[in-house]
Amino acid sequence: MIVSLDWLSEYVDLPEVDVLTERLLLSGLNHESTKNVGVDTAIDLEVTSNRPDCLGHIGVAREVSVLFQRPLKIPRASITGPEASHPFSVAIDATDMCPFYTARLIRGVTVGPSPDWLVRRLEAVGVASVNNVVDITNYVMLECGQPLHAFDLSSLHGDNIIVRRARQGESFVAINHKEYELTSEMCVISDSKQPVAIAGVMGGAETEISTETTDVLIESAQFAPLPVRSAARALVLGSPSSYRFERGPDPAAVEWASCRAVELILDLAGGTFAAPAFQAGSLDSSQATIDLRMHRVEQVLGVSIPKQRQREILQSLGFVEHEPGADVIRWLAPTWRRDCTREIDLVEEVARVEGYDCVPENIPITAVPVQRSPRERMVRIVSESCVAAGFCEAMTRSVVGEKIEELSSPWGCTPALVCSPPLVQGADRLRRTLLPSLLDARSNSLSSGSSHGDLFEIAHCYLSRENDVLEDTTPIEEPLLLALVTGGDFFHGKGFAAAIFERLGLYEWSSAEKPIAHTDVEFGLTYHPFESAVLQAGRSAEILFHRSGEKSRRIGVVGEFSADVMKMCGLDRDSVGIELRLDGLEFTTMYEPTLFSLSSFPSIDRDMNLVVDEAISWASICAAIESTQCDALESIRLGQIWRDAERLGKGKKSVVVSIRLRSFKETLSAEQANAFVDAMVNSCQDRVGAALRG
Amino acid sequence: MTNFNLDAFVADLESLRSEVEQALSEVSDVESLETARVVFSGAKNGRLKAIQKGLGKLGREDKPVGGKQFNAIKKIIESLFVEASARMKSASKDAKAIEQVDVTLPGSPIRFGSVHPITQTIRRVSSIMSKLGFEVVDGPEVEDQWHNFEALAIPNEHPARDPLDNFYIHVANSDRPVLLRSQTSTVQIRVMEHRKPPLRIVSLGRVYRPDTADATHYPMFHQVEGLLIEPGTTMAHLKSVLRSFASSFLGGDVRVRFRPSFFPFTEPSVEVDMEWNGRWIEMGGAGMVDPSVLQSVGYDPDEVCGFAFGLGVERIAARRFGVADIRDFYRNDIRFLEQFHDRGQA
Repeated sequence: MIVSLDWLSEYVDLPEVDVLTERLLLSGLNHESTKNVGVDTAIDLEVTSNRPDCLGHIGVAREVSVLFQRPLKIPRASITGPEASHPFSVAIDATDMCPFYTARLIRGVTVGPSPDWLVRRLEAVGVASVNNVVDITNYVMLECGQPLHAFDLSSLHGDNIIVRRARQGESFVAINHKEYELTSEMCVISDSKQPVAIAGVMGGAETEISTETTDVLIESAQFAPLPVRSAARALVLGSPSSYRFERGPDPAAVEWASCRAVELILDLAGGTFAAPAFQAGSLDSSQATIDLRMHRVEQVLGVSIPKQRQREILQSLGFVEHEPGADVIRWLAPTWRRDCTREIDLVEEVARVEGYDCVPENIPITAVPVQRSPRERMVRIVSESCVAAGFCEAMTRSVVGEKIEELSSPWGCTPALVCSPPLVQGADRLRRTLLPSLLDARSNSLSSGSSHGDLFEIAHCYLSRENDVLEDTTPIEEPLLLALVTGGDFFHGKGFAAAIFERLGLYEWSSAEKPIAHTDVEFGLTYHPFESAVLQAGRSAEILFHRSGEKSRRIGVVGEFSADVMKMCGLDRDSVGIELRLDGLEFTTMYEPTLFSLSSFPSIDRDMNLVVDEAISWASICAAIESTQCDALESIRLGQIWRDAERLGKGKKSVVVSIRLRSFKETLSAEQANAFVDAMVNSCQDRVGAALRG
Repeated sequence: MTNFNLDAFVADLESLRSEVEQALSEVSDVESLETARVVFSGAKNGRLKAIQKGLGKLGREDKPVGGKQFNAIKKIIESLFVEASARMKSASKDAKAIEQVDVTLPGSPIRFGSVHPITQTIRRVSSIMSKLGFEVVDGPEVEDQWHNFEALAIPNEHPARDPLDNFYIHVANSDRPVLLRSQTSTVQIRVMEHRKPPLRIVSLGRVYRPDTADATHYPMFHQVEGLLIEPGTTMAHLKSVLRSFASSFLGGDVRVRFRPSFFPFTEPSVEVDMEWNGRWIEMGGAGMVDPSVLQSVGYDPDEVCGFAFGLGVERIAARRFGVADIRDFYRNDIRFLEQFHDRGQA
């Protein structure tokens, strides 16, 4: 709301401009800027949506009068005129959209330029002068906040005005000479033939005031906020009028503004008022009565404000003491303050006028112990691991383009959810995986000359729930994901995945069953071949989580990106992606590390050179070794794998397995070690058909 | 005869000893030392071994003297080799120490990653708030209208619910409209629905509003919102907590100021400014939790009350890191990201 100080001073004596704006700023009218316009000064005030009363100079003047305790002078608007027997009528067909409508007729008006003072005042607040009649309607709106509209009576068809719901598809040419198609959600002012205005939003081209106009019909009405807003929004036709109706002007101003405009027109454009006013409906001017307990202000603010001062503030704001009392006062709210309906509203009024500087800012705050939640700790652990491994944290958009979303997600097969409007142009799909977004960021970073393109992100993805939706939950599931992209091959990726899981205390198992009976770890991971559109089949894996008594579930994928995705992201360097599902793993943070006592006896290392079929996996060899339940088995490590069709036979590979044995009870003898290894070799022969070589 | 044998045996031993001394004085490295060792004291064909064989040929009465002599010389020779070996080792060390490096050449590259400046800011805010007793909570980003609007006293006709001002989502198997949350207060509602006061929580995370992206707006951004519900809470508590926060965040004793404002879910509502380098800067919005919000989660507004506040993370991060265009936070250019190494503040 731009306010002319010259104009404002008509209603209240003003202090220095800096004093004025500072005080307004601290009582709810945020001062944005001050500008000199000729001899006048315009100040721009931000008016919150609950204060339509301050969308007019009188409302701002009332604030000034309250804050500086100076009298407020509001001009009287009274008009008289001969009873006219004009056969005109107004009717309302949609009282839900328009509770009350008035029209006043002035005949014999001379439309022409406005006087200088009027032009100057409008210019000071950024409104261009059109002609005296239109300027007056604007002036009165900017004075009291009630929008008005002026029709050229002669261009109206018939002798009546109907306020009604627009017909679906009905067309309308607005003052801007553009044609609009209306919907039945909009309210129109119609003559006997067609709409002549979209209620509260904009008038029509055909009935606008021109220099030929002699008879003017001044509309002043009460329009419901919602239809005005949806029409202004749908047609992209927001106006100062619609802005005010959306917030609800003072009901008492409907009559005042109409009379004030007629008075000014008679004064500046001549003509005679044809009394009385035409009107329909009934004005919704209910006023709230509110009980204020006198101790309530202190209870909310934490500082006491004397009762007399509280009463003074409310009275100056226009509240009327309805039922006085010692502890509780019943107040009647003024018509222009329909935002005040409850006790807390009155507390706020007292507080903002008194000023929040009176609220103490150094009272002691009691201490309460707080712990980080398991999820926070888990996120911190994985984030720190990624940073230590050289990855930079990225933040990519939650909503992506269709092209990316067509790719499959490791986390669900329901189609992506679509949001409207798109987050940014071309992106309206809620993502189901972070990997493509992150790969795209990697590509951009590398092509912009970054030293590397190792990125990670911790964010949610969004999946439609396949099961029935509970009352308390949204129909959408939001897994928390950690994704990483880096260079290299599958093994490079798996190394990172395994290292991060190890930080959470999750280790790879050789099979879905708990592999070693004597450990107390009840959960583990296995890796299995994985196929998707994002990761290269044959070079990627899914990671399954196992815990006794639970169904195994996928908690990660890792692999080299498929050629298609690489091409889509414009990448030519080897790239590998990892995506881990973190939600559900919070429990891992509950395990405090406790000392695993170390054996004081020496270890014995033995290598086994096993020849197996190509199809035999490393995990199955490990499982065969572990199945011997040897309690001296400390570790199994991969030595090397080599293939030689001539020496090993076709379809065979040699796997060198390094075994470390160590006992907690004694120094193992060579004979003991040999016996353990023999058992392991036998188990590998039985279970995976291995032959010992050399 | 026997005496001669013994004398010759001893003379052989003595000459071997001097030969060893001579040879060892000439060796210059580990290899030649090893060669000498094989020649003189090799287990199979070493010279010492050969002389030892002569011990068996001595007369019976000479054997004890010869054996004693042999052992003495053997010990000497062994110690000569140990000495020489030690000499070789320290010699090779000396040689290395002399090899000089250009200390200005680059070291082997070790790279650490970095935490996103937005995450760092969130961590710092939540770490300060946790010292004031606030625990971090999170909740869904896709919300229903109850949690995003109604429970927060934003009725159906409120402009904030306009379809053009929100990202509504079409869901096939539900008739309840859902949307990407426009504020993290939704999480506070969810916590209040399930827990009884007293409560001190901070909810944080991504929020979404359809703004055209420019230097100060992005349709996806982050909020940190605090909520305290305890009987007897006043605006003085709110101001004191925010002043503590601001002092901790900016360092020193920072003043805060309240300006009246309007939010549907708080009343009284204020904008909070903090004084920074002699200027008031906007920190966020705050207020006393509106009684209707308390009612909507089943609390009695006459029994309990509390305050809430919200901070825009991007705005704080932009000021803190000197980022003029908040879109840079989402470009994910590594040259940008790796500049913001955590200063250990959270």
